[in-house]
Amino acid sequence: MNNIAQAIWVEMLKARRSKMPLLTALGFSLFPLALGFFMIVLKDPELARRYWLISAKAQIMMGVADWPTYLRFLALASAMGGFMLFGFIGSWVFGREYSDRTVKDLLALPTSRSAIVLSKFVVVASWSTALTAMNCLVGLGVGAAVGLPQASMQVILQGEVTVAIATCLTIALVTPIAFFASAGHGYLPPMGVALLVMFLVQVIAQAGWGEYFPWSIPALYAQGDNLGIVSYVIVFLTSVAGLAGTFIWWELADQTH
Amino acid sequence: MNATIETNNLVKRYGDVTAVDGLSLRVARGEIYAFLGLNGAGKTTTIRLLLGMVRPTSGEARVLGTRIRVGDKKPWDSVGYMVETPDAYPELSVRENLEAMRRLRPGAEPKAVERVIERLGLIAYADRRAGTLSHGNAQRLGLAKALLHNPKLLILDEPANGLDPAGIVEIRNLLIELAQDQGVTVFMSSHILGEVSRLAKRIGIIHQGRLLQELDVDELERNRRRRLVVRTRDGQAAQSVLLSAGFSADITSDGAIEVKDDAAIERPDDIATRLVHAGHAPTMLNVEQEDLEQYFLRLVARSVDEGNAK
Repeated sequence: MNNIAQAIWVEMLKARRSKMPLLTALGFSLFPLALGFFMIVLKDPELARRYWLISAKAQIMMGVADWPTYLRFLALASAMGGFMLFGFIGSWVFGREYSDRTVKDLLALPTSRSAIVLSKFVVVASWSTALTAMNCLVGLGVGAAVGLPQASMQVILQGEVTVAIATCLTIALVTPIAFFASAGHGYLPPMGVALLVMFLVQVIAQAGWGEYFPWSIPALYAQGDNLGIVSYVIVFLTSVAGLAGTFIWWELADQTH
Repeated sequence: MNATIETNNLVKRYGDVTAVDGLSLRVARGEIYAFLGLNGAGKTTTIRLLLGMVRPTSGEARVLGTRIRVGDKKPWDSVGYMVETPDAYPELSVRENLEAMRRLRPGAEPKAVERVIERLGLIAYADRRAGTLSHGNAQRLGLAKALLHNPKLLILDEPANGLDPAGIVEIRNLLIELAQDQGVTVFMSSHILGEVSRLAKRIGIIHQGRLLQELDVDELERNRRRRLVVRTRDGQAAQSVLLSAGFSADITSDGAIEVKDDAAIERPDDIATRLVHAGHAPTMLNVEQEDLEQYFLRLVARSVDEGNAK
């Protein structure tokens, strides 16, 4: 697999020139900002009602306004909402070649198709990891700005690690989205799959089988559930299946777009 | 082996649809080969087969001596191509699009981008986003991408699409120059026979996935039907004179007399003499060659008739 560095440079250029990094960064910032809002409300619900931040009937069932609660919900939001955002990145990086009809220019080159696919995954992973880092930092900033009660460094660090791991588990589960973007020839099929997955997460989690459904696992981890090794193996295998499917599709399927 | 492109009984089926049906062709080194067909004839599928983008149902294709397999890296360092529409990344400038493509072609030197920008007349548009280009300039960008790495073989799908008349002449001259001066082989598809006959040395005509005819441009000239067109003041009377003399004279929709007999085409002066003696002196006498498009359509229609007869 040659010329991988150049292929990554090309993918980075495409990402940099698009509006997607900005849009996804804004999208991801909403999680800590929204949670910060709820923390303000939780700290003083009466004040929030007086200033019309919430209606008189609103019942916020999140618990108390402190760092562990805030970071637990941030991890949960990053695991659930993160999947849609990372899925959007994966759909764009792979699906745009079909929607813009540029894929044909990537298929008969001295740079192998596998190098191009790998460079796309590298960009999706780097981009998603950068968003995760930003999410952790913005989370800290928002938590401090809303004046959450003092907590030990260890509590905050533990909460941040949970956010980071839950998000990384989510990133690993985006690879099947890349496959559906490639096999579905565009953005829409993979986004449809992502929505279906989100629906199934709700149903399967309610049925009590969440620890065996790959896309439920990051949320269960974020909530502090005691997951067995099987759950992590399922995430790993799903990720590998998505990677393998995408590579095989690009290398072997008829490319008629 | 001197063939740059060689296909043997190439077949591509999509379900019940046969897009390419037993195609065997050979393109020699340094030749400009035009692959002619109506829309949906199988031109683009053939190009995709040659470029390893789709897998043949049966048969094989060889390009620059390499048997083409889907996903292989060979022989693409020596092949430049443009398939269907000339698409580019819309948010990247012309220069960035070319730079991206150059980096994916390890053999192409850094200066290649500026060289092709100049060669394709894109200097004024180099920093413009590709999404804002006119169709003609997008076509030039597509051709520039194909030429970046000084390929030995160019595979171009309808290269003149979207170009204005001056652009068509410019690209035609560029391709002729590449073939003559640098020995580049050009395999191009088109649906306009008139356009390719000025450029190609050899023409393959494809219809419904089958190669109907492969011929040199000289042969094409010979194969085109000729006819003698005569005008007189009284067309019907003059037609009677010619019919009674044993010629197959027909009246055309615009009132002229059309004679297709070789004797009349070779010696139009005899026809003139005969008409003058009968008192119907011609006001116009012209030997016309069949239009290229008429020739192409006649060939296609004959193939359809033969298919129906079977």
